[in-house]
Amino acid sequence: MKRYEVFLKKDGRDEYRHAGSLNAPDDDLALVLARETYLRRAEGDRLWLVDRAHLVVGDTEFVAPNADKPHRHNDGERIAERRRRLREERAPREEEAGS
Amino acid sequence: MGRSWSSMDDFESFLDDGGIVEVDDEMPDAYRNAVFAFIEMHANSELMGGLTERDWIPRTPGLRHKMAVLAKTQDEIGHGHLLYMVAADMGLKTRREMLEDLFAGQSKFHNVFHYRAATWGDQVAISFLVDAAALASQQAVFKNCSYGPYRRILKRIISEEGFHMRMGEERMMLIAEGTDFQRAMFQQSLDNWWWPALQLFGPDSKPDDVLLRWHIKSERNEVLRARWVQKFAPLLISYGFTIPDPGLVHDAEADTWTAGPIDWEPLKRTLAMGGPDSARRIGEAAANWADTHWVREAMDTAPERSAGAPA
Repeated sequence: MKRYEVFLKKDGRDEYRHAGSLNAPDDDLALVLARETYLRRAEGDRLWLVDRAHLVVGDTEFVAPNADKPHRHNDGERIAERRRRLREERAPREEEAGS
Repeated sequence: MGRSWSSMDDFESFLDDGGIVEVDDEMPDAYRNAVFAFIEMHANSELMGGLTERDWIPRTPGLRHKMAVLAKTQDEIGHGHLLYMVAADMGLKTRREMLEDLFAGQSKFHNVFHYRAATWGDQVAISFLVDAAALASQQAVFKNCSYGPYRRILKRIISEEGFHMRMGEERMMLIAEGTDFQRAMFQQSLDNWWWPALQLFGPDSKPDDVLLRWHIKSERNEVLRARWVQKFAPLLISYGFTIPDPGLVHDAEADTWTAGPIDWEPLKRTLAMGGPDSARRIGEAAANWADTHWVREAMDTAPERSAGAPA
């Protein structure tokens, strides 16, 4: 018996998503079991099965460091600050104009 | 390898912050054992429920309902499959070991599948009252479940249980609008199944229930049970049936329904495999398992056979 991981995708907008796993002796039976277990009500129109033995899994220690690299983003805070400052400078003048 | 925690305190604060545990994390043994036992019982219950459902395929009245019962049977067996895969990945027992323990009467499944469904009314009571109770418990787990693989698979299971419950209410409606004989039959079924359905939620949660502490359950048993009574007592009464609970109290002002005292002895008997139909149910499931030995063997040897087949 092999363990297969099941990935489904529905229409052109979604990514393939992991749906679960199943046991099967070979690819052909795995396809039948995947359809009968995971695609009972048109949950997808595309199916990937991956033998778990072929999955390459990243260690969390190896994967996680990219969470602490804020310089790869820009939070827009400095530009927002300028916009706020301009709004505040303009506001009193608008009040004068309105009175 | 996944994450690890230096102490139980550390792990619990991770859970309290909404942390989700994944299969390759080094979770504490106590957590692994408790979550595994919970999922195993859920898997067993889906399978035993599917077998109950299957018994009714030949006897279900009308083609539409017969087809729906066929589909539901496959859904329930499928839920069992999904859950056994999630449980097996926790590394405590293989799927085959779980099945063999179940068929040897050595592992638990829901109390309601220790009773016999003798009439179509019983089957309708199960597919409405019992499915609704099971669904309410599952939703309360799904809401805040800290074990990721279980939480994700519950999403699919819950959506399918929703179809089953609506089918159950439709069948009950047909009976309620039917003949006196049909209504009397369903009243008898309600008398038989009201209490087991209520007991499915279990006795009041203990203050130190680890399943609550570790965010597997999100609600206390008594809260779920009270909510179920609040919903189903008035609904069944509106269909013209009587609730078999002399202690049921309706507060007209607040419009609340509260059940009378519950006898927990029947639940305890089912947990000890001593329910009215436990022996027959387990015996039949075990006989099925033995009869289907050739299918497993064919599956196990399929790759060699196809490799040796003439081109």
